[in-house]
Amino acid sequence: MVRHKPIVVTGAGVVCAIGNCKGQVAEALRSCRSGISTVEYLDTSHKEFPVGEVRMTNTEMRAAAGIAPGEVANRSSLMAVIAAGEALAQAGLACIPEGVRVGLVTGTTVGGMDMSERHYRSFKDSDEHAAYIATHDCGSTNELIADRFPGLEMVTTVSTACSSAANAVMLGANLIDAGMADVMVVGGTECLTRFHLNGFKSLMILDREPCRPFDISRAGLNLGEGAAYLVIETEESARRRGVPVVCRLSGWGNACDAFHQTATSADGEGAYLSMKAALESAGLQPSDIDYINAHGTSTPNNDESEAVAVERLFAGCMPAISSTKSYTGHTTSASGAIESVICLLALEGGFMPANLNLTQPLDRGIRPVMPDAAGNAPSANLKNILCNSFGFGGNDSSLIFSRFDD
Amino acid sequence: MSIQRPLSDSWLDSPVDYPHDGGCQAAIDPDFKAFLAPMEARRMGRLLKRAVAVSDTVLAEASVSDPDAILTATGLGCVENTEAFLNALCEEGEDVMMPTAFMQSTHNTIGSLLAIRRKCHGYNSTYAHKGVSFESAVLDAVVQLRLGAVSNALVGAFDEMTPTYFGFLAKTGFVGQPGMVRASDSAVAMVLSAVPAEKALCELMDVRLMYRPAAGKVASYIMGQEGVDAIVAGINGSEKNDKIYEEIASATCLPVMGYKHLFGENYGASAAGVYAAVRCLHSGRFASLHAGEMALPEIRSVAVVNHDGRSVSVVKLGSLC
Repeated sequence: MVRHKPIVVTGAGVVCAIGNCKGQVAEALRSCRSGISTVEYLDTSHKEFPVGEVRMTNTEMRAAAGIAPGEVANRSSLMAVIAAGEALAQAGLACIPEGVRVGLVTGTTVGGMDMSERHYRSFKDSDEHAAYIATHDCGSTNELIADRFPGLEMVTTVSTACSSAANAVMLGANLIDAGMADVMVVGGTECLTRFHLNGFKSLMILDREPCRPFDISRAGLNLGEGAAYLVIETEESARRRGVPVVCRLSGWGNACDAFHQTATSADGEGAYLSMKAALESAGLQPSDIDYINAHGTSTPNNDESEAVAVERLFAGCMPAISSTKSYTGHTTSASGAIESVICLLALEGGFMPANLNLTQPLDRGIRPVMPDAAGNAPSANLKNILCNSFGFGGNDSSLIFSRFDD
Repeated sequence: MSIQRPLSDSWLDSPVDYPHDGGCQAAIDPDFKAFLAPMEARRMGRLLKRAVAVSDTVLAEASVSDPDAILTATGLGCVENTEAFLNALCEEGEDVMMPTAFMQSTHNTIGSLLAIRRKCHGYNSTYAHKGVSFESAVLDAVVQLRLGAVSNALVGAFDEMTPTYFGFLAKTGFVGQPGMVRASDSAVAMVLSAVPAEKALCELMDVRLMYRPAAGKVASYIMGQEGVDAIVAGINGSEKNDKIYEEIASATCLPVMGYKHLFGENYGASAAGVYAAVRCLHSGRFASLHAGEMALPEIRSVAVVNHDGRSVSVVKLGSLC
């Protein structure tokens, strides 16, 4: 396997159901407070499916992002601008200077579908909403984000369903490692839409109750929405720019399950391979991992396959594991980035996010993180965290974040 | 697979001609029976069938059955399926239950189908960034080849243009204006390998994506470090679209050829440009790309230049003959 240059995270930003910035998200994680509730912001007749919505209207998001009412934007681009802004500010890149090659890679699948599904009939009959035709696709939505941050060297968009953001991080890391970029802003965004809410309903994998990852009674997932970005660069670049390091991005791996478009294989082959590749990329052994932030969607299929894969790779040295989708919902294309930020917050804050709603864990020898006696996230001195994102189509990706010891 | 004869280089010498009337032209499909059993074919939309056909063809040509990586590019994904689901949502409301249409509407459905068919567990990713989706996929493949993370990669661009979507995009000016080449569908695939490779058609020297660059910056890159003999550009007959190519041509003083007069316009068209440049370099024949009257010098390397309104992409190719 390839050994890479030391790559560090120097900025992070997040918007999701449990907070509109890192501080709020950390607080909710520490107090084990879920953001799953009855749908309120999305205009849907399906009130029976709990969701993890960002607690802002589009108007409130525009205000937070500094985007005027008349400017073209969609909910995914609005959340992304807020999250990317937080990340870039932390990394000292609120204004991108000349001579630093900064690229943006965003993972998204719905793009501007929230607007398209609203205006679809008028797309055919009139020119009234033609601006939203132009911003329907993934790339155009990403450009709405990119144009808020002048000075970007390159911009592109990954769309691999639920592993999109993790793959965006990986492309960024590889470009930096190969010397083809100096700093990469990498992450993802996805807003709730009727399109994919009804799509997931068609696949019959939504739960009418708050989800219960890794529980034997789990019955499906709750959808969520949000955006998150990391700013990554070499350790040398961070020193040169004089910015503090948040943590290391020590490894990454991508493999394909190659089994089915929506189901995962019984032996979790793709998941096993992506976790193994991430460990090799980081130069770490399974026993070096302290905590796994699982993909853990709470579907009968995913959680079983993921647990099997974890058992295969970590037999004899099972790390603590939890899924944070019971806090945020399944944020699909953004999940790899939102959950990466959650891993960063856990590293920094010295705690492990608890696996909520767990009464009886599935029987695969997993060690789920439970709330402490006070009902809070347990303290933990973490060194290496593995973060999984497994998408439809068997697109499996894993990232490893490590404490930065100077 | 495009509006030229499918899976054929006949366009090099006897291309199919289309008027520049901004119309919409469906791609010409091969007989899919050579690639897919009837049961399989029935379960796949048109774009998926095309993806299988071109991918199987190039993997056979390159003698690779299990590529280390599968990189897919699609600007819009499987539009047929997206439309089916959206129409149903509009007509039936939220009682719609169309799992297959939804599943096949996600952009990465193509890349995952290719992996599933070959049981290929290698790196797999999909890029969806309008007219530079293909170059984004090439960039990912190239960076991994350079790092030694993979030794070969299947890279493809797949886009379809339904009549409804053509109507929408005509409103944005991307297609459908008088004087423009026709809008089309395409499915293009190629295998990239680390050097040295026995059956190589040409060398892929470099790939670059630039966001909102000045023409001068693109020109400097084209002429710098590894200079080229000519440019193959995404000229499509729209003044607004073609302007930057004219500026780059002026700044570089290089001859400029087009390819969209042969292959049409859609978000995957730039892949057809790279494919065409590869075949021309390998055969030494550029006449079909050469739309102007200027005599061509000997061409041993080209820069394939495209833009999507904001990003400019450049793929530098060199002859190995």
